[in-house]
This record gives sequence, structure tokens and C-alpha cells, in this order.
Amino acid sequence: MFGWINRVMEESEKLKTEENGESEEITWSWGAGTDGLPLDLKDSANAAIVADPSFEVTANSKTLPFVEEKKESGDRLWSWGAGTDGQLGTGRIQDEHLPRQLSLPSVSSLACGGAHVIALTSAGKVLSWGRGNSGQLGHGEVVNNMLYPKAVTSLENYFITHVSAGWSHSGFVSDTGSLFTCGDGSFGQLGHGDHASHCSPVKVSCFVDQHVAEVACGMRHSLVLLKGCLSSQVYGFGSGKRGQLGFSKDKIKSINLPKVVSGFEDVDIVGIAANGDHSAALSVDGNLYTWGRGFKGFEDSHLPQCLNSTLKFTKATLGWNHALAMTGDGEAYMLGGNHLGVLKDLRNECSDSREANLKKVPGLDGIKITDIATGAEHSVLVTENGEIKTWGWGEHGQLGLGDDGDQLSPVTVSLGYDLNEAASTKVYCGSGFTFALTKP
Amino acid sequence: MSYDDVEIEDMEWNEELQSYTYPCPCGDLFQITKEDLKLGEEIARCPSCSLYITVIYNMEDFLGSSDQNRTNKGLQPSKQQAVTVA
Repeated sequence: MFGWINRVMEESEKLKTEENGESEEITWSWGAGTDGLPLDLKDSANAAIVADPSFEVTANSKTLPFVEEKKESGDRLWSWGAGTDGQLGTGRIQDEHLPRQLSLPSVSSLACGGAHVIALTSAGKVLSWGRGNSGQLGHGEVVNNMLYPKAVTSLENYFITHVSAGWSHSGFVSDTGSLFTCGDGSFGQLGHGDHASHCSPVKVSCFVDQHVAEVACGMRHSLVLLKGCLSSQVYGFGSGKRGQLGFSKDKIKSINLPKVVSGFEDVDIVGIAANGDHSAALSVDGNLYTWGRGFKGFEDSHLPQCLNSTLKFTKATLGWNHALAMTGDGEAYMLGGNHLGVLKDLRNECSDSREANLKKVPGLDGIKITDIATGAEHSVLVTENGEIKTWGWGEHGQLGLGDDGDQLSPVTVSLGYDLNEAASTKVYCGSGFTFALTKP
Repeated sequence: MSYDDVEIEDMEWNEELQSYTYPCPCGDLFQITKEDLKLGEEIARCPSCSLYITVIYNMEDFLGSSDQNRTNKGLQPSKQQAVTVA
């Protein structure tokens, strides 16, 4: 086993050359991932990297050893749900109805999009995999599917602190506040002033004199949060047809250069979110603002609307027809119903006030939650007593319950691992798939 | 039940699939061909799941596209005339 570690670590450069010489990029994707990870090198004393014969995959008519990394007390990563673009990182092109533990390099956070995943390491390096047909993986070429994590090498000279994955585009923020985007640009969602797509991350020149803190990529639009810029802190660009850009009461088809979102002149925004045609922002005092496509039973909102609630939210995530919000007290609320039965259809009980649309997530019996995530039509949360619960649409196994059924309220997912052993558990959702990441 | 109503102008022409497409929440694409649209079909389906959307469009826009104006004129003589008169 340890012979493997040494060989992998010492000969990584040599392997890279050899593999590049005799096979397709897919063969090398694993090596490229580990190669760009100084953190893993540091951790290698605790790591056992083994070639597991049960994890052999075939690509380009060549059988590859799938290197599994087992750590005595390391990060653990699971995925489940839609997987036909390789987005689950299992090395397979198929859906998984139950969580599968992955053997990916150590990551600090993930961003999941339509069918691709971007992983950020604590060393500020970026890996991506899944669908790449619009250049959203940032590997410098258009690939249909990337089955294994591959380093985004053009960002190697930057320390990346934040990433976001949209339907088919991606955003990256560096520690120096630079924003890079790549992928589909046909709606102007890359913010470069045109409608071109890019397969390598390109710096967004509009923000060269600003410090970007966060980027949020939706289906066809993007939001940007600036640091230390109270008067004009949130920007939007891309498709605006449902009001998701939030800068004008008029219907804006699309814009390809960032423009300031209205209504935050006197508000300190600390977080942004985008998914589908929805946009959201959280203020430092816990107010939730939403704009864009109206949640079930409500009109589209072309300007940010503050949710009329006394609750103080600490995190909010968006689906394509619903939102989840978490309070500082560990309570979970849901905005909007769901097309597919997350909560009962709310159309018949709408009143004029938006808080009527806000419901406490059912079935938690006072158990506090520690994290939330939303796919297009499913929801995931982590409870304080170490459980991951899912509900919503389940046709692709994105609920991880072993079947393709839908669930009306949260149901516990079995990972075969006691989450109480982990210091932290985070969950992430792409459109039809889910990831869970635990830290020791 | 239709997942959503989508205007044809919000769908994207996909050369590879020879279809108009729109993102499906499963990660795949809702698809409908020009031939389907000419036939008046308004359901775009996702090949990977059970969901479908209703496409909002004018059938006439597609009838005219392949046979040029001949078909269009043949179908809407009164409209054409009205335009000329006005």
C-alpha cells in the first residue's frame, strides 16, 4: 500500500509524461488532480492509497486502475443521484440511488452545477469534473464528460477562495479579489461584454479595480458580491428575462456586462445565491432578499424583495422553484412550494404577504440543523445529531434513499458512516445530484 | 403534469441534437425538433427522465421556415392581403 503512495508521489511527473504520451486526457485526469495538491502531499504520511481492483473502470478501451485513497482520519466524500455526465466522480456514467463514498483528493468545498462539479482545495487549487461540453470545466478544451477530477491548470498561479457552478458556466474568485468565468456565454453570463463561450477561465475585466468576494452562477445568469463596497456591492449579468438581474423594473432580456443590482444601497450584504432563474442575497442582520422568477404562486420580481419575516437567516440556497433558508437557531424554512411535491401546492392558499409562502420544513421535531443545500427540485439538510436528510424529487436517486421515489418531508440517508465522528458535515447539490463532505 | 411552460424564444437550437432544447432539472435537456413543431406538437421531452415542458410558439413560424414563403402565403392569404392593403 505505502509503496503505492511513494510511487504515486515521486513519479507523478513521470507518470504525467508517460500517460500523456500514450492515452487520452481522461487517463491522466486522476494524476493531474493529485499532482496539483500540495495539501495531499503533506497529508501523505496519514494516507493509504491503494489500487482497489473492484474500482476498475474502462475508458477509451483501456482498463485503468482506480486509485482509492483511504485515510485514517481524513475527509470523506459521498455522491449520489444523476450521474450520466460523470458528475458523481465515481468514474462511471450512471445514476446512483445510494451514496457512494468517493476516493477523491482532499477538498475544502464543492460547487455543483447542471451536470458538473468544481472542487476547491484548502491550498486554493481547483479541480473539476462532469459535463464539459460548453467549456464549463475550465480545462482549456471542450470535453463531453470528464469522469475524474482534473486540475484547472490555468488558475494554478492564483489562490482560489470561492467557486460557483451554474447550469453550464462556472465562476472562480481568487484571494486577491479577481473573478474568472468560463463555460457557456451565450446569454452574457460570463460578464465579458460579449456572448462568447470560453473553455478556460477568463478574468472579468469589469472588476479589475474591485475586490470580488463571491460569485453565484444560475441557469443563465450570474451574481457577484464585492467586498468593501457598500453602495454598489452586488452585480448581475446574463439572462434577465425573469427579473433575476434585479436592476430594473423593466423586462431585460440579457446583458453581457455586470450591472449593479438595485436596492442594496443601505444594506450590508454578506452572501449571494443563484440557481435556475432565481437570485437571493443575505444581509449581515439576517434578512433574506429574493428576486427573479416568482416562487410557486407568486409573480416574478424584477427588483430584490426583502422577505417580511422576523427570522434571522444565516444561510440560504436556491432551487429552480424553491429556496431553503437556515436561521441562526438551526431552524430550516422553505420558500415556495415545489412542482414535484416537496410541500403541498401552495397556490390555493396564497395571500398578499410573502411570508405566507415561507414554511418551516416539516418533520424535524425541533432537531436543529447545521447545513442546507438545494438541487433543482430536491433538498438536503444536515442535523445536529449527525444525520443527512433529503426530500423532494427523487427520480434519479438524488435523495440517496435507494430508490427513485419522491419524498414529501425529510428522510434520513444512510451513509454507512456515523457523522457524529466528523467535526463538520457539509452538503452540496447539483441540479439532479448530491454530494456530502465530512471533515475529521 | 407539464413541468413548465417555456416560450420557444427561450429555447436554444442545438445543432448536434437537431432540436430546440431547454434545461431539465435532472441535468439533461428537454428537446423538440422542428418537424415536431411543424406538426403542432407542443411537448418537449427529456430523454433521461419522465418530465416534459409545454412549448409556447406559433406553428406558422415553423411552417414557413423550410418551404419559404410559398407555404406561408398558401396558409395565410387573408393576412398577406391585409398587410398589402394597409
